[in-house]
Order: sequence, then C-alpha cells, then structure tokens
Amino acid sequence: MATHITYTRNSDITGESFGSNFANSILLHLLVAALIFGSAFLFHKRGTSWGESASTAGAIQATMVSSLPLPPKQRELDTGVLTSEAPSPAPITAKERTEPPPSPNEVAIPEKTKPIKQAEKPTPAPPKHPQPAPEQPTKAATGETAGIRIPQATMELKSGTASISVEDRTFGARFAYYVNIVNRTVAQNWYTQEADPRASLGKSVTLTFDINRDGVPSNARVETRSGSPSLDLSAMRAVQRVEGFGPLPAGDHITVEYTFHYQPK
Amino acid sequence: MVPSIWFDYFNSHSWAPNPTLFASTIEEMIFSTVRTPIAHSARHFKFWLAALTILVVSASTLHAQDWFKTETSSGASNIRIAVADFKPTSSDAQTTALKSIFDATLYSDLANAGIFDIVSKSLLPQSTPGGPSEIVLAQWANAPASAAMIAFGGLGVQSGRVIVNGFLFDAKNTQYPQVLAKQYNEDATEDSARQIAHRFADEIIFRLGGGTPGIAESKIVYVKVAGGNKEIWQMDYDGANQHAITHLGTISISPRISPDSTRIAFSSLGHDGFQIRMFSLLLGRPVNFPSAGGGTNLSPAWSPNGKDIAYSSSRTGDPEIWISDANGSLSRRITSFRGPDVSPVFNPKTGAQIAWISGRTGLPQLYIMDSDGSAVTRMTDGGYATSPSWSPNGQFLAFAWDRKYGPGAPGGQDIYVMEIATKRWIQLTHDGGRCDFPSWSPDGRHIVYANSADGVAAHMKVWSMLADGTQRRALTGPGADMPNWSWK
Repeated sequence: MATHITYTRNSDITGESFGSNFANSILLHLLVAALIFGSAFLFHKRGTSWGESASTAGAIQATMVSSLPLPPKQRELDTGVLTSEAPSPAPITAKERTEPPPSPNEVAIPEKTKPIKQAEKPTPAPPKHPQPAPEQPTKAATGETAGIRIPQATMELKSGTASISVEDRTFGARFAYYVNIVNRTVAQNWYTQEADPRASLGKSVTLTFDINRDGVPSNARVETRSGSPSLDLSAMRAVQRVEGFGPLPAGDHITVEYTFHYQPK
Repeated sequence: MVPSIWFDYFNSHSWAPNPTLFASTIEEMIFSTVRTPIAHSARHFKFWLAALTILVVSASTLHAQDWFKTETSSGASNIRIAVADFKPTSSDAQTTALKSIFDATLYSDLANAGIFDIVSKSLLPQSTPGGPSEIVLAQWANAPASAAMIAFGGLGVQSGRVIVNGFLFDAKNTQYPQVLAKQYNEDATEDSARQIAHRFADEIIFRLGGGTPGIAESKIVYVKVAGGNKEIWQMDYDGANQHAITHLGTISISPRISPDSTRIAFSSLGHDGFQIRMFSLLLGRPVNFPSAGGGTNLSPAWSPNGKDIAYSSSRTGDPEIWISDANGSLSRRITSFRGPDVSPVFNPKTGAQIAWISGRTGLPQLYIMDSDGSAVTRMTDGGYATSPSWSPNGQFLAFAWDRKYGPGAPGGQDIYVMEIATKRWIQLTHDGGRCDFPSWSPDGRHIVYANSADGVAAHMKVWSMLADGTQRRALTGPGADMPNWSWK
C-alpha cells in the first residue's frame, strides 16, 4: 500500500484568503461610503431651512415648562396650609365688642403712704498702713528726664543679650567702635553654661567696671543683681576673664555699665 | 606608623650620628636607647619590628578615626571688615606692581588674623576711595558688603619712594567714622610694600583685636632640608620671603629665636656631636657659645627675659635638662632622674616654669616643673608625647602626641593643646598624617607646625593654623621642618 503524503503549505491558503478578504474589505468600505454619499444626495433638502431669511420666520414661543414630559407631581399630605393646593378656610372673625366704660366708683384711688426710710450702712474704714507716697518728679514733666540711659550698643547672643553703655556720652559717640569692641570681647568671654539655666532664665544682671588707659578692666562690681547668683557670677567672671580691650583711644579711663540678659533661644 | 623606622635604626646598633638622620629621630633615639635595657629586650624589638612591618600596610586604614568639633562660643560674631583695593595716587610705572602686592598682603593679613569676618572681594563696591573725602560710607555699610569696618587708602610711588596713606573707618558711625589714619613712606621695593601692608594690618589688628599686637610682622625660623644637610632658614609669618640664615654645611636642627629677635639658638652637628650653637641676626654670623664638651645637646629654649637658655644635654650620659645663661656659661643641671629628659620650654608669661618631655616612666610624657627643678607635675597620662610649646599667655601647652601609641593602635601623631590648670586637652589636627613641632604665635591665636601627609620625612612641610585647628594652610614646600615662631 503506497501512502502519499501531500504536503501543502498552509501559507498559500492563508495568502489567498488574506488577498480575497482584503479585496472584500475594500469593496465593503467603498459600499458604505457610497451609501453615505448616496443617502446624503437623496435626502438632501434644498432651499432655506428653519431660521433662515424666510419671510415667514418669526418669533417662536417656547413653552418649555408646561410641555416638559415630567412625571406627575406626587401629592403630598394635603393638611399643610402652605403645601395644600386647596384654599384653606378663612378664619372665623368674631365681632369686637366694646367694653362699657367703668363707673366712676369702680376705680379705687390708691392711698398715699410714706416710704420706709432705710438707714445707710457705714462702710468699714480701711486699715491704716503706711502707704508709699508716689515719687515726685524732681524735674519738670517736660524736657530732659533723669536716670534713663539707653544702651549704646546691644549685641544679640545665642543665649541672651549683652548691652553696654558708657557713662561718658561723648566718648561713646566719638569712639563707638571701641564700645563695640568692649561689648564683643566681654560677650565672647561670657560662658553662659556657668549660669544655672532654670534660675537665670529671663533675668538680667548689670555690672559696672572701669577701663583704664591701657584697656585693662578693673573694679568690676554688680550694679543690679539678677536674683540668680550663678548668673551674677558668670557675668562677673566674663569681665574678669578679659585681659584687655586695647588702649583707650582717648581719655584716662572710662566707666562702663554692662547688662547681661540671659534668654537662651 | 613611623616608629618602625626608629626601631629599625636601633636594631642596627649604630649610635654614631648619621648625617642622613631625620632630625626628629634624635629625641626618639634617646628615648629608645635609654629604654632598651630597662623596658625591652632586643628580642622584643624584633618582634615589634615584625609586627609593625605587617601593620604598616594596614596602617592607613586604621588611621582613620571619628572626631567632631564642638562649639562653646556665646555666639558673639567677629568684626566684619572690608578691605578696599587701594587707590593709585601716582602714575609711576611701579605703582601698579607695588599696589597689587600691597593689596594682596593686606587682605591676607587681615584674613589670617583670625579675629575678623572679612568681606569677600567680590562683594565690595566698585569704588576705590583714596581718602576720607572720597568714601561713601553707606556703600560699604549696606548689603552686600555689610561691613562694620573699612580699611582703605591710597598708594603712590614718587621719586623712588612708595607713599601709602591708610585709613580705617567705622562704617556704622557716620558722625565720627575715623578709627585710624596712617602714613608710610618707604623705598619703592616689593619687600617694603609687603612690610607696609604688614605694619598697617598690625595696627588694625591691634586696635580691633583687644590690644593684642598682630603677628603680621613676625618671623618663623625653620629647618630646611637641602641635600644631606639641614640649614636654618627664616621666613615671614605668611611664608613669603624665605631665605637661608646659616650656611654651615652640616646638620642644624631645632632653631629657637631669642625673645628680642636678635639671635637664633640651634643645635648643630660638629666634630664633637650635637652642640648648641648661636647665630646673631644682627651680625649675620655665628657667635660663640661654648661647647658642652660632649654628649648630645639638643633643643635650646630661651627664657622670656632672654638671659637663660634651657636645653637637654647628655654630657653625663643621661639626657637631662640643663640651663645656662645666654653666653653658654653657668651651666647647671635641673633634672636628675634616670630616663631621658628633653625638649624644654619656658613659660613665656612668667619664665618661672619649664615644660619638657621626660621618659622616666617609659614612653615620653609631658611634664612641667618650676625652673629650679622642683614641683614636677606630669601632664599627659599615656601615649607618646613630644615637642611642647607654651602659649604666650602661659595658659596652654601645645604638643605633638600619639595618644594611642603602639602596634596597631588607632590614630597617629597629632597636635594637641592642653589647658595647664585643668589638664583638659583638645586635638587640633586629625587624619592629616604625622604632625610635630607645634609653636605658638606671639598673639596666641595661631600655631605653626610641621606635617608630612604621607609620613615621609622629606615631604615635611611647615603649616600654620588658628589655635582652634581651623584655617590650616601650608607655608612652605616639602623639605621644611621644626618651625619656631618669633616672640614678637
């Protein structure tokens, strides 16, 4: 028995099939396009259309609301006065009756009575304490004021403020740079970790010291205590730690008031 | 891991001075030779040598160590100063050249002073005021310059003389701005332009730096390695103007300049070993300093009054601290303890104390004592300490320290500063290779030292830094060693 195997390449079939399908597809597309154009040609309406320059064109009344095909409104309970479509019954109005005027004897005339007098309660006298007399200004209220000194140089530090003022005002103005050097040098030598942070917070101490001709500080003393001894001590040590500020640019000595304000940021 | 070299050297048992010897080995040589019979045997050395040679390879990885910088300042900032370019006031041909030298020197002097916040040149106004009438303070006081102080002026050359008018103005004080006004008149040379800038900078630093004189005019003496020889050289504090002092054709080490800057004492190798020599800067030649007669005499140190010299001498066989007067007479021994005592240095504030290095307990440690030899106090608690330098205010000691000395120990030899009263110390150099020979500047704000990044002695450079370890910069090229800052 002889067996023949005929091997046909599938690709030929698919190739053919693809070609014919492709042609069919083109044909179909052309047909659809012809249909569209044909229908357009057939059903095309000539002439002016709605809204164009026709003599009959006028206003159009659009009664949209009433003609809207909405479902009928659900009837609510009709007892409500405002929601009810039925007119509510008119309230019964009673006819007013006029009161007859009273006879003169009916109205009682109140008797005259004296009001009872209340005795005034005596306020207790304030206890006698020596009250501090308000300080009288030694000078006139206008013009120069005594005792207020604005610091000539203030420096913001990480742990507070250091401000300085020199008693000799002309020195401070003329040699502002020297005042700044004094301020900076003392501030650099102020070791704020020596001050107790809880006791010293927000407090300030004012020192006074002299600077002699060679720029060496001496005679440092606390002018105003802060209330925190460790802060007072740290400020004192800051001044004592300074070896010198450099020779004075002028004068024999200056006296410096220095305020340390402890306020860590 | 330099020590392996020293041990190697000792194993060869060649104690005779060797011309190719690295200068700083001598100190260590003394230590090890004296220590050998006491502490270790030769077998130990061989073991250490073997261990060290292995560790040399891995030393670089072990060298790294963690460190951090803490800040304790109160936040008070430095003075912000603007340095204007000076205005040329004459049309002489030299003016431009001298002016550029002057401007650069003045700027670097003030920048290196360590007390200023200097305004960068790029932020300065375009104008170059030559005098008080030409300056508009608002230009300098406002942003971006925001200067508190302005240094400005004019420079001109007239008939071979350079004339400089320098001013320092307070930018914030519009009413009385002038702080300083100076006039200089010198020969028109580059060197004098540089010197004028140094002098003007010193005036500014003196006024604004709290009365401490500036160091712009100070000098540094150091050892220059030239071939097989080592000569004493000198330079300005900023590394300019390097020139030779001695021409002895031998090995001269450990130069120390006298407090009045007239003489240099140093140790030099002659026919009878290392002896103290003296060089007069006024005469420009060596002057007589009698030989100790024998032994190794090293590291002279001037007392602050300039009358005494302390040095280490092994004339009795054991290196001890000796003091003689500046002419070399009246020598007397201060220490008498078994073990080497070297590298003395006087307390420059009082002159009544001496800090030195002693190996009486084994490894060299830092000690202080009164200058008559009493009240000996040990300062370091371990490691390997060398070359102390006392700060000018007497408060601190700078020294080189290998804190974890030994095979495989982390860290290296670095510069440390110790507060004498509390014995607390801070480390100034980190991971930069072997550092040695710190020396304080006269204002106490700078330290000069020798550093070799790779540990090779021939690559040793002289560096300077602020005393807190910042603003480090090399002053010389390779082959410079053992710096010593002048006293003023």
